[in-house]
Amino acid sequence: MIEFAPPTVVLLVVWGTLVGLDLVSVPQAMISRPLVAGTVAGWLAGDVEAGLRVGVVLELFALDVLPIGAVRYPDYGPATVVAAALAAGAPWELGLGLSVGVALVLAILGGWSLQFVRRRNARAIQRRAAALAAGESGAIRRLQHWGLLRDALRGALLTGAGLAVVWSAARWLSLDRQTAVGLTLLAIGAGLSAAVGGAVRSAGRGARLKWLVAGLGAGTLMAVLR
Amino acid sequence: MTGRWRALLRLLAVQGTWNYERMLGVSMGYAAEPLLEDLKTVDPVRHGEAVVRSTEFFNCNPNLAGLALGAMARAEYEAVPGEQIARLRTALCSPLGALGDELFWAGLVPALVGLALVAAVLGAGWWAIVGFIALYNLVRFGTALWALRTGFDAGMRVGSAISASWIPWAVARIGPLAGAGVGLAIPVVAGWYLRGFGWAGALGALAVTGVGAAVTRWFGPSLTSVRFTLLAMGLLLLFRWAGL
Repeated sequence: MIEFAPPTVVLLVVWGTLVGLDLVSVPQAMISRPLVAGTVAGWLAGDVEAGLRVGVVLELFALDVLPIGAVRYPDYGPATVVAAALAAGAPWELGLGLSVGVALVLAILGGWSLQFVRRRNARAIQRRAAALAAGESGAIRRLQHWGLLRDALRGALLTGAGLAVVWSAARWLSLDRQTAVGLTLLAIGAGLSAAVGGAVRSAGRGARLKWLVAGLGAGTLMAVLR
Repeated sequence: MTGRWRALLRLLAVQGTWNYERMLGVSMGYAAEPLLEDLKTVDPVRHGEAVVRSTEFFNCNPNLAGLALGAMARAEYEAVPGEQIARLRTALCSPLGALGDELFWAGLVPALVGLALVAAVLGAGWWAIVGFIALYNLVRFGTALWALRTGFDAGMRVGSAISASWIPWAVARIGPLAGAGVGLAIPVVAGWYLRGFGWAGALGALAVTGVGAAVTRWFGPSLTSVRFTLLAMGLLLLFRWAGL
């Protein structure tokens, strides 16, 4: 991991906060998709290529997730930002695997933190139950603003703590070349398996499955001819 | 800014207070506030009741929440009995959740992500990112605008308005597009990553893909793709540490 100037760290935390908010609370504009979060974080960290490489492989994992209703899922946004910062400055073949491993752990923590925020929201609503029953508009507004603030804080803490941990542990995270390449190949293979698994599950047995197979065929042809 | 535009902007944060008790309820109340403002001068008692109703339990896909919000606001202005509005609110949860999730989370998002991945690895770079964000948000904001307007115009007849709208048509067609988009992206992305590693490396990674897809399917939710990856990484580090 390269040393970042304080303004860069601040920008990364701000970006992590925004993508953390985007996942559920506001505005769900898809900036939290790893492809977007990673590329922008790589640009902020001074290495767009590393950010794109990290973002694309984590996007494969994210394609396995269907964020429906109350289901618990990993939060890849802030995790991708930290991973892109960790991968910046190193050859991607060596840095990608470790960064993806760190991102997956952070994504799980992000999923747990989302549950925590949801429980805190419920408690806040219970505390203001009387005001809500009386139809107080001020109480609704306060609940909404505090809910957004809680989620923003969650994204900031995840990104900030993630950056602090990988920065302080960077010297222990150095791997020999063979191990680093092995981790990268494993991360790519596992990412592809996540995308395949998610695609097959979503496809069922109808027309979508046929189109998935057609897409796979066309994609294979493109990959071979390139 | 008119009440409808303010409500539309507030709908962007309709999951701002998401919780396991009222789900979207309180944020729906927050979005309803500008729509119900005029009711305060016409019928203050009714306005108070409407505000209370607007914060009760509700859940659906956030991109279609405007249909319910508009319909319920219209019903409040038409002085429909409160119990009927509550029943409408409950009845809309499942269909708006199912249609919205199929259209956006299982359809539009994977379709556009698949195409953006292909464009990004083929060298489109930032254009792929900007195109993805622009296209998704164009559809998403267009849908939100349409949903709020349709809900408000239809009122208690919102169910018929949804059935007669473009939504069921789009839901039936977006799935195959998503399948094709993701299907196209997987081999292209694989080629992009594995080209530099030689045959042995590429075959090793593809073996991980095969094993991962098989075991995560076999063991289901207890072994997710994330757990499989972390387990495999842990084993690799252990073997390397042991000098194997």
